Amino acid sequence: MGLCDDYQTEGFYDEMFAADGTPRPHYEPLYRTLQGMRVEEFQARCELAELTLIHQGITFTVYGDERGIEKPFPLDLIPRIVPAHEWEHIERGLTQRVRALNLFLQDVYHDQKICRDGVIPRELVVNAAHYRREFQGARVPHDIYVHICGTDLVRDRDGTYRVLEDNCRTPSGVSYMLESRLILMRVFPTLFRQNAVRPIDHYTTLLLENLRELAPPDRHDPTVALLTPGVYNSAYFEHSFLAQQMGIELVEGRDLFVNENMVYMKTTRGPQRVDVLYRRVDDDFLDPVTFRPDSALGVPGLVNAYRAGNIGLANGIGTGVADDKVIYAYVPKMIEYYLAESPVLPNVETYLAWRPDDLKYIVEHIDQMVVKAANESGGYGMLIGPQASRAECREFAEKIKADPRNYIAQPLVALSRCPCFVDGRLEGRHVDLRPYVLCGKEIRVVPGGLTRVALRRGSYVVNSSQGGGSKDTWVLRNGGEEEGASAMQQAMPRAGGAMSQSQRGRASSPRTGGAPC
Amino acid sequence: MLSRDADSCFWIGRYIERAEATARMIDVHYHFRLESAWLSEPMRWSSILSISGDLEEYQLRYADEDERTIIQFFVFDTTNYNSILSCIRAARENARAIREQISSEMWQCINTTYLDLREWSVERVYERSPHSFFQWVKDASHLFQGIANRTLMMGESRDFLDAGRFLERAGQTARILDVRYHDLMRLAEETNSRAQTPAGAEEIVNVHGWIALLKSVGAYEAYRKTFHEGVTPARVAAFLILNPSFPASVRHSIGRVEGCLRRISGNREPTPSNAAERAVGRLYSELTYLTPDEMIARELHLFLGHLQAQCNEIGSAIAATYLQY
Repeated sequence: MGLCDDYQTEGFYDEMFAADGTPRPHYEPLYRTLQGMRVEEFQARCELAELTLIHQGITFTVYGDERGIEKPFPLDLIPRIVPAHEWEHIERGLTQRVRALNLFLQDVYHDQKICRDGVIPRELVVNAAHYRREFQGARVPHDIYVHICGTDLVRDRDGTYRVLEDNCRTPSGVSYMLESRLILMRVFPTLFRQNAVRPIDHYTTLLLENLRELAPPDRHDPTVALLTPGVYNSAYFEHSFLAQQMGIELVEGRDLFVNENMVYMKTTRGPQRVDVLYRRVDDDFLDPVTFRPDSALGVPGLVNAYRAGNIGLANGIGTGVADDKVIYAYVPKMIEYYLAESPVLPNVETYLAWRPDDLKYIVEHIDQMVVKAANESGGYGMLIGPQASRAECREFAEKIKADPRNYIAQPLVALSRCPCFVDGRLEGRHVDLRPYVLCGKEIRVVPGGLTRVALRRGSYVVNSSQGGGSKDTWVLRNGGEEEGASAMQQAMPRAGGAMSQSQRGRASSPRTGGAPC
Repeated sequence: MLSRDADSCFWIGRYIERAEATARMIDVHYHFRLESAWLSEPMRWSSILSISGDLEEYQLRYADEDERTIIQFFVFDTTNYNSILSCIRAARENARAIREQISSEMWQCINTTYLDLREWSVERVYERSPHSFFQWVKDASHLFQGIANRTLMMGESRDFLDAGRFLERAGQTARILDVRYHDLMRLAEETNSRAQTPAGAEEIVNVHGWIALLKSVGAYEAYRKTFHEGVTPARVAAFLILNPSFPASVRHSIGRVEGCLRRISGNREPTPSNAAERAVGRLYSELTYLTPDEMIARELHLFLGHLQAQCNEIGSAIAATYLQY
């Protein structure tokens, strides 16, 4: 009996199987492999993967346990596969979206034309929790605010890709994307031979290139560092991993100081100038002089150094205004406004509680909707109407009425599912997809992303803080299997020079001596 | 290199060396006690507690000095900051904080060691034989050092790691010698003054006691190759303090620390360029030019106290010069 035999799609859009239960064409090689595999065999590979994660310390700590139990980050070994034409669509959509978001940020921190032209109400912008009044009018290098964007995509019941949210501040998870790939290549090497999977390991090279572009123009070999809140931050593994992969320093606020608007790090050889910070510390904590005075994570004077153009920051300050879920609803309009294009990737239909009509609708239909606070993340501050009790719905409705500016509602998207290995068999679980967009002189999207899985049966919440896991995401080369194989042959050094010479000679002879064409 | 990262390297070196030294010491003491169990007053566990400087701490927490409790205290007690588990955990936390500085293999080694160590307990140590457990701890330390040698770039991180390791080693050798010397001398006196001693008691104290001491710093075979005439207290002391080539002698270890510090600063002049170089250079010259007779004449206990104080001073000077952030 094959692993996939009693798998049920249960009416959802399934990434691997069509509605009639046959595998989709781009999943066929994987399907054949899984069918030829015994459960014990698959289980053994899961254990191997888990052991690798534990030894490499890719774990998170279960708090409230005296002994500090550490668990490996849950990685499901069945990959999520995206065929070439779908990826082309996603890439086009993300590129367009991030271009518009950067133009929007440039605009709201300068002339606010989009507000004056009546496309987005000004109050919504300036009342956004992460709008930074202090940055009104400040110039940033190349007018780019968002250098790294993690946009969350979901697919609905008919398989359409939609944008669920943008993460323009400090999107995380890219290390899991890279590590998942390494682990899958170790655990399932043969699968990579059968599927033409596009590589993703140049992500950190591209990132470093972009970061170096942010250095003050007179700095020729700039010093780039990654600013982390420290070892107790839940994303610390990622910070350390990225710093290691890029070969840059990993610094904490206490390693840095500002003198005459220049940023320095404290080294064994005295102060050393820092030119670019890939900061993984939120705006609020970045500089106690400008923002929260109680922050011990930041560097006093950093913001002034940034304003003076002596240090590059990625992402820029104040990008969180675009993460506001109310502002999110306007992104399609931004795309039309700034680019005069129609959006490639649609949003999820969104009701804004500050509009009286929408508010009325939301309150009346709250048991059918997902309600979200405008500035919460990680699966907090939200209500999933169809899965909530009446009392919870009533309670939430009151919250919305008390503060309509800060709530939105969306119909529950029947997120697509992907098979996962659970208790010795395959079961469908809901997934989303977070590709990482790098924005420098050009916009680049590494072919892949973090596929997050809601591992609890029936759950729609994919966040790792809420029992989510991840999957490796494979973007296939154009044309799938055959073309990938021939591309590999081309890359192989030819054996025997004389032989290939003669072959080439023979192959070309009909043309040289042949008829005109 | 970031001062904070250098600080972590330095302490990884110290903690791993400390864990290894503790494993060696307990291993040897445990086995020496088996051999000397029939003495009217066998070697007490309390002398081990004095070596580590933990006697008071221990007596606050535990009433009995029985072997299991002692092993629990030295190996698994996380409220004892010098226990093997505490040291490995601290080394791992430091390594985690500078994962991007050290090689992945070094991180995996220390991480796996910590995770494996947590699977052990006193019960399991007795089940599997204490010797094999302590050997495993030593092996883990050597594996880490080997991986560091093979994968870590020659440079500051490595020099701080080594400086920590050798400074810790010099201090541990001086301390273990100090306490054991004192103990063995006292035992010898008591054995001599007693009218009736069991046959062979004198030999146990005067010969086996010193051999155990040599073994506890991994020096027995090296000593034998150096001195062919047998084991005497003066020779053992001279070997462990002044021998230039034995890797755990105080002189050799301090010489290595000096080498690290000189590479870090790049200073090739005879005069020191900072407080750390001055402190380590002064002690190294003293050990280089001192003769064994002069050393014994200075009263060994006082001299060993002086060595330990100097090691502490070197540690403070390194911190003040490089590691403050």
